[in-house]
Amino acid sequence: MLFAGIDIGAATAKVVILRDGKILSYAIIPTGFDVINTANEVTRLALEKVDHSIDELEFVISTGYARSAVPFANKTLTEILCHAKGVHLLLPRARTIIDIGGQDSKVIRVGESGNVINFNMNDKCAAGTGRFFEVMAVVLGLDISEMGPIALKSSNPCQISSTCTVFAETEVVSLRAQGRSREDLISGIHKAAASRVVTMGKTVGYEKEVVLTGGVAKNMGVKKFLEDEIKMETVIPEEPQIMGALGAALFAQAELGKK
Amino acid sequence: MLKPSLAKNNFREEVMKTMKDLSTSLEGRVSELRELKKEGKKIVGYVPGGFMPEELVWASGAIPVGLNRGGDPSAVLKSAEYLPRFIDTFSRSQIGYWAMGEEPLYQMVDLVVVPCTDRNIGVIADGWEMWTETKVFKFGVPHNNKSDHAFKYYLDGLHLLKEALEKLTGSTITDDKLRKEIDVLNRMRLLLRQISEMRKSERPPISGKDYIKLHHASFRTDRDIMVTSLESMFQELKGNEGRKGPRILLIGSSIAEGDYKVHNILEAIGADVVIEDFSEGMRPYWQEVENNGDLVEALADGYFRKRTPPPAFFRPATEERVAFFLRLAKEFRVDGIIWYSMMYRDSYDIAGIYFRRIAEKEGLPFIKIMSDYDTAETGPLRTRIEALIESL
Repeated sequence: MLFAGIDIGAATAKVVILRDGKILSYAIIPTGFDVINTANEVTRLALEKVDHSIDELEFVISTGYARSAVPFANKTLTEILCHAKGVHLLLPRARTIIDIGGQDSKVIRVGESGNVINFNMNDKCAAGTGRFFEVMAVVLGLDISEMGPIALKSSNPCQISSTCTVFAETEVVSLRAQGRSREDLISGIHKAAASRVVTMGKTVGYEKEVVLTGGVAKNMGVKKFLEDEIKMETVIPEEPQIMGALGAALFAQAELGKK
Repeated sequence: MLKPSLAKNNFREEVMKTMKDLSTSLEGRVSELRELKKEGKKIVGYVPGGFMPEELVWASGAIPVGLNRGGDPSAVLKSAEYLPRFIDTFSRSQIGYWAMGEEPLYQMVDLVVVPCTDRNIGVIADGWEMWTETKVFKFGVPHNNKSDHAFKYYLDGLHLLKEALEKLTGSTITDDKLRKEIDVLNRMRLLLRQISEMRKSERPPISGKDYIKLHHASFRTDRDIMVTSLESMFQELKGNEGRKGPRILLIGSSIAEGDYKVHNILEAIGADVVIEDFSEGMRPYWQEVENNGDLVEALADGYFRKRTPPPAFFRPATEERVAFFLRLAKEFRVDGIIWYSMMYRDSYDIAGIYFRRIAEKEGLPFIKIMSDYDTAETGPLRTRIEALIESL
């Protein structure tokens, strides 16, 4: 029997196909404008890899920003629960999840069974999210994937006082004019964003093991500065972007047990 | 006129009927007020933060109406022409509602009374004073309800308000008139309390949104009609059973008329508010006003000294406030707490952080939401509320 979890985020759409509690296949594509089309497309892609089709799915749970827009989902759940569930399967010792996606960032405290104990997430502001890094990459004329490795090269990160995406852009432009190196600037951007996310999560607290998820977890600069801020090591799942979809798929599988 | 219900079966429908009657009466209220105004009656608008004794207004022969609109992003946008941005969203949007000209009550008031509880609410008075031709009466509400000095200060404000109302209407506020009004308003407070307490049951007979709408209706409707409605509703609700689901304590700074997004999100997922507390947008109903002795002093005593629960800005009363809410959480058997305050209302922002700590110690799941009446906040807001309910 096949189960699917589909996570339509602000920037990317992810799907995980589950069989017997194990990941059979997954896919990640940009969300784009047409959410319904994206949901169909990403699911079709993941299923095609293993020669299956949407009709064969037993139960589908959608999550993420556009969770309600998935036409073939049997149920919706928030990404907070799904991230906790997904991470718990792969890293059962996880007690804190820092999830940084395209549009929001969350700090989730999880219990021994992968249950959500507490969480906090950013409001509508883009500070400390993937979007923040995207804007900064454009300002500095870089590809988003180059940002992290460059951030690690500086030993003297610039002080970026504003984490507001709009103001930080002005600050970066002004620091660039002052002749600060690209490494120091990029490093400073990462430090500021990490600090912002860590502060937001302080109300829920940080307990070992701390796991990073979401697309931004692929950025090694963010990992370093988050670790500096919380003074703890962090763990990144093999594919940090699909944790929400994986959790949703696990919940979908659990639905069968309820019947 | 609202008719008391006779049918005993299908209580839910009967309740809906009273609600419907009440909203029909509300729809007609504006034209009714226009007629009364033509006859020479004065309309007194006020900020419904529970510190303006409407008894004084009714006893003066004027008609009080609470200015309590909120939740509309266009009013916030409009307010930018008059006020800076970093002010409590509810307070800031008030001038927006006036400027948009679409809300009749904001256009027909002869006097606006603003009990200034903090700088944000004070800005409402500033807005009316600076940008409109409407007369404004403001008076201070001290932050210490335990001190005699503070009590006298508030009482002094009520005496000045009494004078201002008498001057506006040309009619004297006698003890007889005041006594009658205190009785009516006490009855209204008691009924609101009794209906609220019905929600302690496993299946609350009235939804959180309907309940708060009763408060909002009470700011516009004639007090006698409101009491009659509440009387029949109280009878109709007896034995009525609503939905069983996750139970929420909703608490914060302002719950404005038109700002029901938290209720809507909760209702859509089978959860509901079973008890709430807000500084603006609700009528404090846990205490009554003594109807003897010096009546203005009795009003100051009921509205200020005995105010229950103490609002967030009553500084020496923080422990009292916390204890009150923990008791409510227990009695109303809440599963979680949603703190809902307006953006830039700092005192509530700070209190929210403190409450989170207290709630967590008690094992009560808690989320804090800040609203700027902005459409962009809807997505994250829904996620947070749904996640809270899912994790219960």
